[in-house]
Amino acid sequence: MSNTLLEVKDLKKYYKVPKGMLHAVDGVTFSIDKGKTLGIVGESGCGKTTAGRAILRLVEPTSGQIIFDGVDILKLNKNEMRHIRKDMQLIFQDPFSSLNPRKTIAQTIEEPIILAKMIPDKNKRFMRVMELMETVGLAERLVNTYPHELDGGRRQRIGIARALAMNPKFIICDEPVSALDVSIQAQILNLMKKIQREMGLTYIFITHDLSVVNHFSDDIAVMYLGRLIEKAPSEILFANPVHPYTKALLSAIPVPRIHNRPQRILLRGEITSPINPEPVCRFANRCNYAEPICSKEEPVLIEIEPNHFVACHLKGINANA
Amino acid sequence: MDIKKVNEKGNTLEIKNLVIHYVSEDEVVKAVNGVDITIASGKTLGLVGETGAGKTTTALSILNLVPDPQGKIISGEVLLEGKNVLTMSDSELEELRGDKVAMIFQDPMTSLNPVLTVGDQIAEGLEIHRKISKGEALKQAKEMLELVGIPAERAGEYPYQFSGGMKQRVVIAIALACSPDLLIADEPTTALDVTIQAQVLILINDLKQKYHMSMLMITHDLGIVAEVCDEVSIVYAGRILEHGTLEDIFDNMRHPYTKGLFGALPDIEVRRTELKPIKGLMPDPTNLPSGCPFHPRCDYAMEVCSKLPPETKWLSDTHCVECHLYKDTNESML
Amino acid sequence: MENTAKKFTTKKEFFKQYKKKSRLQEIWRSFLKNKLAVVGLVLFALIIIVAIAAPLIANYNNAAIKVNVQGRLSAPNAEHMFGTDEMGRDIFARIVHGARISLVVGLSAVAIALFVGGAFGAIAGFFGGMVDNVIMRCMDVFLCLPDVLLALAIVAAFGTNQLNMTIAIGLSFTPKFSRVVRSAVMTVRGIEYVEAARAIGATNTQIITKHILINCIGPIIVQVTLYVASAILTISALSFIGLGIQAPIPEWGNMLASGRAYMRDHAYIVMAPGLAIFVTILSLNLLGDGLRDALDPRLKQ
Repeated sequence: MSNTLLEVKDLKKYYKVPKGMLHAVDGVTFSIDKGKTLGIVGESGCGKTTAGRAILRLVEPTSGQIIFDGVDILKLNKNEMRHIRKDMQLIFQDPFSSLNPRKTIAQTIEEPIILAKMIPDKNKRFMRVMELMETVGLAERLVNTYPHELDGGRRQRIGIARALAMNPKFIICDEPVSALDVSIQAQILNLMKKIQREMGLTYIFITHDLSVVNHFSDDIAVMYLGRLIEKAPSEILFANPVHPYTKALLSAIPVPRIHNRPQRILLRGEITSPINPEPVCRFANRCNYAEPICSKEEPVLIEIEPNHFVACHLKGINANA
Repeated sequence: MDIKKVNEKGNTLEIKNLVIHYVSEDEVVKAVNGVDITIASGKTLGLVGETGAGKTTTALSILNLVPDPQGKIISGEVLLEGKNVLTMSDSELEELRGDKVAMIFQDPMTSLNPVLTVGDQIAEGLEIHRKISKGEALKQAKEMLELVGIPAERAGEYPYQFSGGMKQRVVIAIALACSPDLLIADEPTTALDVTIQAQVLILINDLKQKYHMSMLMITHDLGIVAEVCDEVSIVYAGRILEHGTLEDIFDNMRHPYTKGLFGALPDIEVRRTELKPIKGLMPDPTNLPSGCPFHPRCDYAMEVCSKLPPETKWLSDTHCVECHLYKDTNESML
Repeated sequence: MENTAKKFTTKKEFFKQYKKKSRLQEIWRSFLKNKLAVVGLVLFALIIIVAIAAPLIANYNNAAIKVNVQGRLSAPNAEHMFGTDEMGRDIFARIVHGARISLVVGLSAVAIALFVGGAFGAIAGFFGGMVDNVIMRCMDVFLCLPDVLLALAIVAAFGTNQLNMTIAIGLSFTPKFSRVVRSAVMTVRGIEYVEAARAIGATNTQIITKHILINCIGPIIVQVTLYVASAILTISALSFIGLGIQAPIPEWGNMLASGRAYMRDHAYIVMAPGLAIFVTILSLNLLGDGLRDALDPRLKQ
């Protein structure tokens, strides 16, 4: 019995737009082991949010395979899919719009339990809601409050409780702390880590904030314009980034230190369009190391050292370049 | 808090004991509760705090733009090159805004008028303040575009044709068109991707040097502060808890809240097993805690903290803190 | 954190301790602050009471219907508060009973429009694409016709009785409601908590009923009050031109029609129904405005 919980193979999501085909997610492949966290990072337009939704089939992938616990979920019908949804949950970015304003906290957390028909007895179900509230650190006196009465941090805890309600194996966290203040971010991140340890959860952590993802993930995958351009364990990615985009991304983070400030790598130009992209390296126009081959051929994801994958023609570049 | 004027002369901005409340039928929101700010000519002050700390309200007051029916300026002065903005007439204010003082906001999407070309929007301020012809203004506008890294030929394009980062550059061009003495930047890069943010911050730094401009940079990101600012004021519940140069705040912090802010940050260099969040929540501005506003969340709180608001203690010429811990000592108590 | 939930064994006990703060209470309080809205509410409530209690206030057959040629066209006096009309009938009694008709037809017609139009609108808004297109184009065909004309056509074809009028007006308002509900649904559909519901396994039906429609009620309620006013006006208009409620049944519109000839010397004969229509429409509009203000969360900022 393998340790892999999720295997994504050549996942694609294309949208038809007036100008042509928009390649939101263009052939993403990775796998995650049970109990681990994969961070997916990238800037706006890289496709990370779409990829997250596609893995849960909240948007229908155009092609590819998503093998969850041995089952290719793209082959399931609606009912079977609803059944598997219990094991795969999503935590949303915006604590304001991800909660139904007309439902109390208890109702929101209770809903998935009711829908999955997990606990028919009303009182036992309610006790489960209270248990979940305690797990995420929500005071019991808040049970009948509405979202608009609470701050962002508490609302996000409700979102987490709702995701946990069905005892999932796997949770995709889509920018779960981006909308929160720094001091609250830390509280929520610690909470999520604690829950992971206690419940043996597997996470995908989607974010644009690189400092947060380092703290939180075992492996990190970097996306650019719908493609996965580098994937490595966190320490290795931060210590030895290979892809020029990864290097630029890491160097762009403003460091809260006044001594030994790192050298900035500045990217030129702007991101190219995801509509009808050419089969070449999509980063070539901005890359400081671009060579002729980069504008002719699309680089393929290759394992350059154990567990470290890069899609770049120049993978001969070492960390000192 | 009382910030000593380090440079007696040539202070672009001096805010003294500013108190602003928002009054509605049911409640009073105490947004700003006695803020002192001094920005010397050519310097950049970072105003650091979390949501609801009162930073934006303070910034708006500099241009006397606090929304009037609810926002009441209870007391204080805002001196721009010696003259009190709060007592100026409308025509004096109009002259000031866009010319001596410019402001850039967080969201470039809504700061630009979608039906005017970017060239026209930059030229607008020039026409009003420099009293030049439209043709001349447009010419200078194109120069501004080049300055912020946008080809001049794009002056005839509309905002929707630009990406987020470029829109923010246009906003900067508009702000700097009349070479203001003071630039107020309210979270100018929060809505931008991190690589674009890097570009914009470098641009801001270059232009600041070139124009010898003073700047008030409002942000919650200490990384940006380290990059762009000379001095830092830490704001909490409408009060300034600590103020100093970059060294004072980054290397010699004194206030527990400042320490908490740094501690809560995930550091890309050091991977810890647990972040150290600040316990509790931001105080409700309609119901502020007694004494020191931070005391309910403070690990070092003493009995006096809930009773008396602390006084300002100057630890050096540049560094001051508002905390009972330092009543009798200058050494770090953290 | 201490788990005191173990103290309670049932949900009921728990809820007794931590009561739900009703959003309705908040809305009610906001509403009460708006004086004009309260006026509208009071007036409309009065009209409803009058309509319900009509037989108790004025005898239908004797006062409203029975012809009394001798007493015709007498000005308002102690016995006949609003005077008598050209057939000697008590105008006050006719107004009171006329209120019944206006309200019943008005409310029923809007109810039909709301359910039929609302259902179509919700389906169109939720599914989008081809479904949306087909439904909305059908509705557009009906929207092209002025309300009164459409109602007229139906009534002329099928006969002028109260039921036909109700259906006619209801059908003519259906496309309007379908639009309102459709846009409300489309707005809510894009909000994340709907996606969240899908993620936890809700079916389409459950999403529409439990998440979307509940959050659309605000704008829909406001439209309902305004369309009731419109419906009442339409009834009056139809009756006025003779294609609505027929004499001798009292209805404000047909009272205006028959009283027109005597307007010059006996103004009271048209003033009473005219005022009745005016006050009803006004109260509904004030009520609708007040509801809209009270329900709009943005105004609270």
